[in-house]
Amino acid sequence: MTVMEEAATLLEREHVHSVYERIAPHFNDSRYKAWPKVRQFLLEQEPGSIIADVGCGNGKYLHINGSVFKLGCDVCRPLVDAAWSQGHEVQLCDGLRLPYRDSCFDAVLSIAVIHHLSTKERRIRAIKEMARILCVGGRIMIYVWAMEQTRRKFEKQDIFVPWNPKPSSPTLGKECPPPRRRGTAQSVSECIYSGNTEKHRKVKSTSSMLEEEEMVCSPQQTQRLWFFSRSLDSVFDFGSLTISRSTSRELIGTFSPLGQVEGVKVGRRGRGVDFIKQVSSIFSGLSRNSSEEDVFASTTDLARGQREVGVSSIDNHNTSSEEKTSVCTSFVQDCGSVALPDLISSYQRDRTEVTEKSGVRDDGLPGDLQNRYKSSLNPRESKGEPAAGSCMRYYHVFREGELAELIESHVEELQIVYSCFDHANWCVVAEKVQVWKI
Amino acid sequence: MCICILYLNVLSRISGSQATEVKVSEVEFNPNFVSRMIPKLEWSALVQAADGLGHLQDLPTELIADYEANEDFLRKVHRVLLEVEVLEGCLQCPESGREFPITRGVPNMLLNEEEA
Repeated sequence: MTVMEEAATLLEREHVHSVYERIAPHFNDSRYKAWPKVRQFLLEQEPGSIIADVGCGNGKYLHINGSVFKLGCDVCRPLVDAAWSQGHEVQLCDGLRLPYRDSCFDAVLSIAVIHHLSTKERRIRAIKEMARILCVGGRIMIYVWAMEQTRRKFEKQDIFVPWNPKPSSPTLGKECPPPRRRGTAQSVSECIYSGNTEKHRKVKSTSSMLEEEEMVCSPQQTQRLWFFSRSLDSVFDFGSLTISRSTSRELIGTFSPLGQVEGVKVGRRGRGVDFIKQVSSIFSGLSRNSSEEDVFASTTDLARGQREVGVSSIDNHNTSSEEKTSVCTSFVQDCGSVALPDLISSYQRDRTEVTEKSGVRDDGLPGDLQNRYKSSLNPRESKGEPAAGSCMRYYHVFREGELAELIESHVEELQIVYSCFDHANWCVVAEKVQVWKI
Repeated sequence: MCICILYLNVLSRISGSQATEVKVSEVEFNPNFVSRMIPKLEWSALVQAADGLGHLQDLPTELIADYEANEDFLRKVHRVLLEVEVLEGCLQCPESGREFPITRGVPNMLLNEEEA
């Protein structure tokens, strides 16, 4: 495994797989409704078709269309178990290594899955794997988070999103799960969904930029802190030697032996692991005191701040100039000592961890930072739910046309049938075609 | 895990000794569905798996002609295909012999990093 592959695997394990494992018990089925286009895609399949839902989660699409055979799979054990208890046929497996034979599925779903893969190469591999198991003429539907949201746009494409538990509802915990019923008929869950249609419609309108399971009732109740990062692709771009100036110093310091050998070999095995552990420790150490203040709003300031290597322009009314200097110094020192993605985030006025005179914490925040101090909100503490700060999910949000371009340029066995923007996602439907090698 | 899955998986071996817990549930019979699934299956492999799990019963060892109209036959297929489940057991790769456990009805096909 190359260093990059190892780093990617570790990143995804820390900020996708283990997060889903922790938050799985808190997914409440009644919040979920199948998106119309996905439902339509499933209903259009011929009776007797075999369909794979790769990255099925807790199986929210597996109950649709009783006349086709659906097989769900996911890496997350608790979610897969939840899907099984609903009567669905599911497996635990890796989307990059599907345990299925070639060309045996009539259709494949990939709904909000591949945006969790941290490199372009892995995203392509996932699509190719799904194309492999599709029979010629079969279709795949892919949904990924869009960079361009309805009212705003993500500043960058590689982000870490904290998980916000839904404010507790009176019905939570009082519903007994229906007994497991296997079979091709629609399950009991469908009834639950239709009963909540009204509620979902209302909530949806205020949360166009949120993923379904993060619907919240009002902005005041949210704690949201979006962290932007550079993609692993850009950090590890040794091949074309276009390492950006802002990280070249650090990279050369830690990876210099690599620069002298061909390719990125496992010879420096430990590096990728340390690298990712540093990244992870940053996110797990974050405070939950964050405001709803949207980082999107301050895009121009952030962009400017980003280009100043190691120098943070701290917009802070409270701290003295000494404090400011010491914080800056610490940041610069950290910058120089380790290669890490640049981080841009917004902070609370009351974040004592950052403003302490002693400087930043050990697992502190190198890279370019611009601190903005806002009034704080008390974090909502729901019993038993994991801290939002410790559940940061990695996403690579897609630019318009990016998903289509990936398929067109790298997956010749798939031909795009249509693409569209739906519910803050880019959607592509493609058909498997016979490729003739001359 | 229902027997259907075997044909979709690259692994195709499961036997009675490997399935420690098999359950038969009642599943709504849909003749259209079953008759459309049949052409996608490898009949001999289905028979072998059913036999291995001790649930062959009166399933014909050869696929009969005109099965679409034969409700009796379709019901037998339906039972084996959808009603017999392996709750605990394992799937074995016929080439490497590597075993993949089935736990609480779910096969775990994840490879360790060394195997990747």
